[in-house]
Amino acid sequence: MRDSLIFYVNGSRHEVRGEAAGLTLSDYLRGGEWLRGGCGSLQGDRLCGTKIACAEGDCGACTVLVGKPADNSGSLTYQSIDACIAFVYQMDRRQIVTVEGVQDGPTLSPVQQAMVDCHGSQCGFCTPGFVMALQGLVEESDDNGPLTDDALRLGLSGNLCRCTGYSQILDAGRRLDPERVPSISTRYETAAMLADFATLGDGSVRVNSRDTHQSNGHAPAPPPVDIFLPSTLDELLAHRAKHPDARLISGATDIGVQFNHGRVAPPAIITTQTVSELNRLEVVDSELVIGAATPWSRVEAYAKDAIPAYHAILTRFGSPQVRHAGTLVGNLANASPIADSIPFHYVAQSTLELASVRGRRDIPIEEFYLGYKQLDLRRDEVIVAVRTPLPKENVQLRLYKVSKRRDMDISTVTLAFWLEVEGNFCTAARIAAGGVGPTVVRLPRAEESLIGRPLTLGAMQTAGRIARDEIKPISDVRGGAEYRLQLVQNLFAKCWHEVMGEEAFVGTTP
Amino acid sequence: MPSVGQSLPHDSATGHVTGAARYIDDLPRLDRELCVDFVGSPVAAGRIRSLDLTAARRVPGVVCLLTYNDLGGPNHFGPIIPDEPFLAAEEVAYVGQPIVVIAAETVAAARKARELVVVDVEEQKPILSIDDALQASSFIGPERRMVSPGAENDAAFEEALRSAPHTLSGRFFSGGQEQFYFETQAAMSIRGESGDIRVISSTQNTTETQAVVAEALGLGMHEVVCECHRMGGGFGGKETQSAITAVMTALVAQRTGRPARLTLRRGDDMRITGKRHAYQTDYRVAFAKDGRLIAAVLAFYSNGGAFADLSTSVMERTMLHADNAYHVPMLRVTGQVCRTNLPPNTAFRGFGGPQGVAVIESVLEDIAKVVGRDAFDVRRTNLYRDGDDSRNVTHYGQIVRDHVMDETFDRLAASSSYRHRVVKVAEFNAASRTHVKGIAISAIKFGISFTTKFLNQANALVNVYTDGTVQVSTGGTEMGQGLYTKIQQIVADEFGLEPARVRVMATSSEKSNNTSPTAASAGTDLNGMAAIDACRKITDRMRVYAAGLFASAERGLVAAPEHIVIDEGAVWDDRAPSHRLDFGQFCAMARRERVDIGARGFYATPGVDYNRETGRGNPFFYYTTGAAVAEVTIDRFTGELTFDRADLSMDIGRAINPGIDRGQVIGGFIQGVGWVTNEELRYNDAGHLLSTGPTTYKIPNITDTPRVFIVDFIDNPKHQKNVRLSKAVGEPPLMLGVAVWLAAKNALQSLAGDEPVSLSIPATSEELLKRMAALVDQAVPDEAIR
Repeated sequence: MRDSLIFYVNGSRHEVRGEAAGLTLSDYLRGGEWLRGGCGSLQGDRLCGTKIACAEGDCGACTVLVGKPADNSGSLTYQSIDACIAFVYQMDRRQIVTVEGVQDGPTLSPVQQAMVDCHGSQCGFCTPGFVMALQGLVEESDDNGPLTDDALRLGLSGNLCRCTGYSQILDAGRRLDPERVPSISTRYETAAMLADFATLGDGSVRVNSRDTHQSNGHAPAPPPVDIFLPSTLDELLAHRAKHPDARLISGATDIGVQFNHGRVAPPAIITTQTVSELNRLEVVDSELVIGAATPWSRVEAYAKDAIPAYHAILTRFGSPQVRHAGTLVGNLANASPIADSIPFHYVAQSTLELASVRGRRDIPIEEFYLGYKQLDLRRDEVIVAVRTPLPKENVQLRLYKVSKRRDMDISTVTLAFWLEVEGNFCTAARIAAGGVGPTVVRLPRAEESLIGRPLTLGAMQTAGRIARDEIKPISDVRGGAEYRLQLVQNLFAKCWHEVMGEEAFVGTTP
Repeated sequence: MPSVGQSLPHDSATGHVTGAARYIDDLPRLDRELCVDFVGSPVAAGRIRSLDLTAARRVPGVVCLLTYNDLGGPNHFGPIIPDEPFLAAEEVAYVGQPIVVIAAETVAAARKARELVVVDVEEQKPILSIDDALQASSFIGPERRMVSPGAENDAAFEEALRSAPHTLSGRFFSGGQEQFYFETQAAMSIRGESGDIRVISSTQNTTETQAVVAEALGLGMHEVVCECHRMGGGFGGKETQSAITAVMTALVAQRTGRPARLTLRRGDDMRITGKRHAYQTDYRVAFAKDGRLIAAVLAFYSNGGAFADLSTSVMERTMLHADNAYHVPMLRVTGQVCRTNLPPNTAFRGFGGPQGVAVIESVLEDIAKVVGRDAFDVRRTNLYRDGDDSRNVTHYGQIVRDHVMDETFDRLAASSSYRHRVVKVAEFNAASRTHVKGIAISAIKFGISFTTKFLNQANALVNVYTDGTVQVSTGGTEMGQGLYTKIQQIVADEFGLEPARVRVMATSSEKSNNTSPTAASAGTDLNGMAAIDACRKITDRMRVYAAGLFASAERGLVAAPEHIVIDEGAVWDDRAPSHRLDFGQFCAMARRERVDIGARGFYATPGVDYNRETGRGNPFFYYTTGAAVAEVTIDRFTGELTFDRADLSMDIGRAINPGIDRGQVIGGFIQGVGWVTNEELRYNDAGHLLSTGPTTYKIPNITDTPRVFIVDFIDNPKHQKNVRLSKAVGEPPLMLGVAVWLAAKNALQSLAGDEPVSLSIPATSEELLKRMAALVDQAVPDEAIR
């Protein structure tokens, strides 16, 4: 079994053993090994263009592109991620491109030149992140012609800027024609990298930080970290059985934040995204099956036409960078009471497929959550996939995510309505709310009040008042308890208006 | 072609987009460099019983732990009132107040030590709110008063209030705001061979940093050099509070002899540094039937935090902007800074102006409701009128002159189709059961100059080299606002050179002594003028020298400096224009003839003076003005606000760099929008900040900016002063963000009856929903079952 990570940074091959494997990608790129105790030496220069402004994946200043082999196409596909909440061990057999690596010789890249010409930078600290996010948009663009305003706004919603007010950055984006911007792939010896990756093979990898750590008396010894990158589910399960304390990592978009805050430092890690059979998304018997390692961005692409209501709020989960890395199953397993995805899967009555060396079992999602961050998941078990029945035509699915800021914000309240309507009658109702208790909850009395009755505004308002009595939210930094109660109540009426009444109109007066 | 007026890219733009531009944390590690961290107070108020550093000292890699006892100088500082300790000694006055400085070989060791320091504190009940402070009479500085000429007589003033057709009174709240510069506070210090200290700091204030470090370390100012190459944003937050990291690293460097660096983690930065002041304002206004203001009393209270910092000065600017763009014939303003157990609040773009402007703008919106006129018309009626002696004097006695505010309003009304849209908004509101819209205009008249007279000065050093290239140094710092680029353009024009031949050097207290902070929007005004002064000293000498060179008895040309032209990269006599010397060649010749082609320039803003005791004078050199129309849509079920459209128009004189100024206007405006909408600082009852990072503190996102966003500049031929006839632009547009808040208020007003609606800043979804729920009992009108 390979005992080192191998990846490329701006075309240079890096082989990493030991402690450096457990660093965040941004620390690694910026020369963080030095910071953490002088262990090992960074290969090449410190790449300080990747900035750290928040260390929470909330500002995008650390945006880099990660290229991975595309299916059978002999190329690398690049996507943006937040390097501050990604780990080096997630980079095996990848090419990372930083802001230092987008330029071809002394000439600025078209994205860089557009940012210069349009006054897209002021203090410059967020600028590398915007350059990389814009380049990522170009890489992902399959439409013809310049990027649309909508694409730019959504695509840059993971990058904050405090100076510019964004206008001149949008100007720079509008000026770009993806067809005329060379792909990152053309800058690097892609074929050689792919050949290298092929030679390495897709076997599993195990890296142990004990391998390199030598106490130099200058720093406390960091806890040893045992990192396992399985390549098959069987390997994963076998390793899991032996290491029940290991932390399963898919996109690391939450654990990265916790790690930076010093709240977690798992002694052992098992990655899921190296297991190709976990990276699946398919419809089987009218159920949508999403694997444990399937990133949000893939779900997003699927849901666009298949489940528009899901897609609409999904594009507000995290940020584009987070959705490139994070997964649905990670979100479910993390079990936050305000996890954006859970209410939909409650009302859709999804089933989780669990597996261990002892076998497999299915569990309805609602039975999976036992209390605040408590799961019906045994120590040797992992979530393999989520199966979700697709809504039929008579289903009115409405999903709400209310947050202080529209994009890239953690929800104050989430609410999901699954209403089956025949004629004017509500024949079935499932309603789930998040952010109102220690877990996401169904609102059975409110549901009951609707079933078998005409779906009128009055009925929904009544149900809203009932719902209000079914929950006991707390006050916290995201909103007061009273606000949450009012929101839950009001969203019933809002739902009615959207289902039965006028469309909400937002936009400037003509 | 002159460089001034061209939209040159920012002088660091290439560095920004390539990642080559370095900030403090990016600078190469130095040999034996130490990582610095600190331990702060665990409570908002209390007495330190004991400090146990034993376990922390044992951590491998920890080099030293330092307390106030290790300071070489007095343990207090403050730009106005020196009431703030560098490191807490006995009392702690806010959560996170630095007590112990840690130096270690690695970040990990420093972090570990930080966990192991034991601070035993006897906790006291903190004063957190303005109300708490008022009850406890906990204040910073005396109450200040300003009374407009004609409002001095109590009886007459009361009579004016009493006899007015209408009066309104109330209490207005505005919350604080985090600067959220992207580069957190950061500094690096290096001890020199004779115990001198070099501090590289992310600071708006090299001189203050130099002075504070010297004082804390017990050194002379001549033993400390402070440099700033650039900041990753400042916004006022690095005007005084950059001292914290500077002093910590300097202290470590002094004690250990080793280089030391500290870049605050975001959470620490947000917890321990000061912010925009929260305000509470009691007001009473009297006005005529047409909404014309007659008299007003405004009592401002600000939450100053634990120490004075710049709070009294911030309050002064609030009071000087209580009128905003409107003439209030009889105005009485008081201001009191409250001392609380929060970090000392400080400068933030606008510097108290926004808190003053928001109150009168809110009041005008209410007046419009009471008198039944459109708020645009009420504002237009109340504007200062240029040249009208009865309507052009402020409450501090300065005449508001040479402005185009009437024209700005009229143009904006037309270009934004304001009247038409007011009708459309009303139609929308009559039809929609799910959303409510609002539209509003607001204005800004922002006084330019430091209100503390002595700060209105600057110096510059200009060195011309023998190849005809130029280096310029001023005390102005670069925080993204484009100061260096503008100075480069100004200096290039003085010598008639391509801007590429002029380089603006990193700001250093070694080259520019006794400088003012880069603040008050005046960076270009002051430093640009000082640079011009230096340039003209050089060009005067060049002309004298060149006159001799070009003099020719055969052609009848006597030496005449006034005929020498220095332009287009060359030097010539305009009487014989075909004979030109290349500028570089000329500079080399000048040196060989022992002509000094370097100079230091100086500038002091003329005509500004203000008497703080009487509240009278001319504190401002001129005003930057503008107005904005904003439209919003609010979801009646959730309170979520969508910002639909903005139209801005500003008089910023003749822009030195229109591209940069446009960025300042838009960026400032959106920062103001953040202040009035989603940026909310939440504390718990013990005074701990809960919103300590971008996860919980929400600055505007790209998707929060309006789909229709029209920014326009209005020409003002009456403006005939200041550097290259430009106007300062940094702060004024921030206050136009208030238009968005007014639009939200306007939307709520359409749900209310005749009573003006109350709304606080920030108008978060929560605040909006709460107000809507109160207005209609519940946010959603109950309707008969259909």
